[in-house]
Amino acid sequence: MKRIVAVAENTFRESIRDKVLYVLLFFAACTILGSKILGWISIGQDIKIIKDICLASMSVFGALIAIFVGASLVYKEIDKKTLYTILAQPLHRYEFVLGKYLGLIAIIGVSLLVMTVISVGYLYVMGGYVTLVWFQAILLIFVKLVLVTGFAILLSAVVSPIMGAIIVFSLYVAGHATGVFKDLPPQFDGTVSKQVLETAYYIIPNLNTFNLQSEAANNVAVSGAYVSYAVVYGLAWTAMLLILACLAFEGRDV
Amino acid sequence: MSAIVTSGLSKTYKSLGKAPVHSLRDLDLTVDENEVFGFLGRNGAGKTTTIKLLTGLIHPTAGRAQLFGVDTLLPDARRMVGYMPEQPYFYEYLTPKETIEFYGRLRGLTVAERQQAWEQISELLDLRDIADRRIRGFSKGMRQRVGFAVALVGDPPLLILDEPMSGLDPLGRRMIRELILKMRDRGKTIFFSSHVLSDVEEICARVGILVSGKLAACDRITALVGDVPKSVEVCATGLTAEFVAGLGDYVLAREERKEGGHRLVVENTEAANQLATEISRAGGMLLSLHPVQESLEDFFTRIQEGTQISLPEEAQPAALAAAEE
Ligand SMILES: Nc1ncnc2c1ncn2[C@@H]1O[C@H](COP(=O)(O)OP(=O)(O)O)[C@@H](O)[C@H]1O
Ligand SMILES: [Mg+2]
Repeated sequence: MKRIVAVAENTFRESIRDKVLYVLLFFAACTILGSKILGWISIGQDIKIIKDICLASMSVFGALIAIFVGASLVYKEIDKKTLYTILAQPLHRYEFVLGKYLGLIAIIGVSLLVMTVISVGYLYVMGGYVTLVWFQAILLIFVKLVLVTGFAILLSAVVSPIMGAIIVFSLYVAGHATGVFKDLPPQFDGTVSKQVLETAYYIIPNLNTFNLQSEAANNVAVSGAYVSYAVVYGLAWTAMLLILACLAFEGRDV
Repeated sequence: MSAIVTSGLSKTYKSLGKAPVHSLRDLDLTVDENEVFGFLGRNGAGKTTTIKLLTGLIHPTAGRAQLFGVDTLLPDARRMVGYMPEQPYFYEYLTPKETIEFYGRLRGLTVAERQQAWEQISELLDLRDIADRRIRGFSKGMRQRVGFAVALVGDPPLLILDEPMSGLDPLGRRMIRELILKMRDRGKTIFFSSHVLSDVEEICARVGILVSGKLAACDRITALVGDVPKSVEVCATGLTAEFVAGLGDYVLAREERKEGGHRLVVENTEAANQLATEISRAGGMLLSLHPVQESLEDFFTRIQEGTQISLPEEAQPAALAAAEE
């Protein structure tokens, strides 16, 4: 456990010293603040639109970090050979994988926290207010990113970062569109595509489960039971992906 | 107990669409405790492959290896090892001090132990003045020092160093050589690889020579090159050219020395004795008489040639490709 924490802390520190994170945070903040401009366009609706844009930018920028940093997390260490001296220490390989993973999750968590503070402050300045559902929405964005990062690290243990990023990105898009796979128009009946897409519906995590954006924008309360369900759903997926990532890395030659 | 024991250790790299590379075949090796063992071989001979197997970075295709009786597949085996890779890479954004701290944590050292490790290691490797600079800007020599420092974290009884002297200037090589001897004096076992013979000749008790993934020889240097002198060299002055030319066939080589006098080579000490008598009878003066040992280099060259020919066909391309690198 101590070793996992050591690796995680170090991963966190690496990102803190890396400028990429600041660039992304800067853009996210710009988007949140820039939402005002869009707000002007539809008078009377501006708070709602600001809320929508805030959550969308948290989701998108978080996903960018998860996909692009996550997909190179393990691979980069193999490529830069920093892994040699680390895996030659008395540590299990899964400890390394989990440490890297948790380090990145901590970064994503902190980034979301920063964006939450900025967005809430901004909304109050603009004369709006937030309710519980606002924080529930952000919590589920976080759970979604936890899942996506799990998928990214699994891929980073087996394929190159570019390949990994493309696959995770496709899955990210597909994960938001799984509903479409289920309710295909009738002309698909009996075709192979229908079977493939329906299978995809069952094996791809449904990322829309984590989407409370419109509820949050409209201040519609969401039940605690639903939020708990979504959290459990996300964490179960994540656990499975992490187990696969650890297994994939265990026997790998570096 | 032996520090390293391998039996039938083999590694074959397979990749899609390429012929499998037999990087290591059937290695049986024993390294005793508190021994400095030199692992020799040309580029591509399989030295790094062996070292990666010993440190658990790769898994053997066949056979097994143990460090102090613990199988290398287990993390516990790595408790015994300090490892320095061929080119040590560390996190560029860390300072040497943070690096030692990080590896100390991975080894499960307490805060006090880590502090102590830093004190001792930074002193030994002269890291104090670069303690708080990021590794990003370090020279090869500085990186090698950090690499050695990391290998020493946790005070492991066995050091495995992959080409620790390659790419260093003479001063750097000497530093590494002295460190190795210092560690031996502290009771550690040192296993290091090299393709440079002189590195090994001076500090190793025993050497293993790897040729195309096979252990071609493994013994004390003296046993490998033999105690019996290959020839005897005699130097003398005050000899006429006619006298030198008129010497019998038992003189294998004769030449004039730039600094004056002649250098003569005979087969053994008896012949040298006879020559010395003839020289003094002719009024010449004997300057020196010394036996010439076969060097490890001669042996190395001999064994490379010998083994390369008898290798099976399939091994050749790999060996050749590696030699070209
Ligand atoms: N990951 C790998 N995949 C395929 N072949 C490899 C790999 N690593 C090393 N080899 C091959 O194994 C042989 C031995 O390499 P290595 O152990 O690095 O030699 P050395 O360290 O003695 O120079 C070489 O022919 C090399 O090309
Ligand atoms: Mg090598």
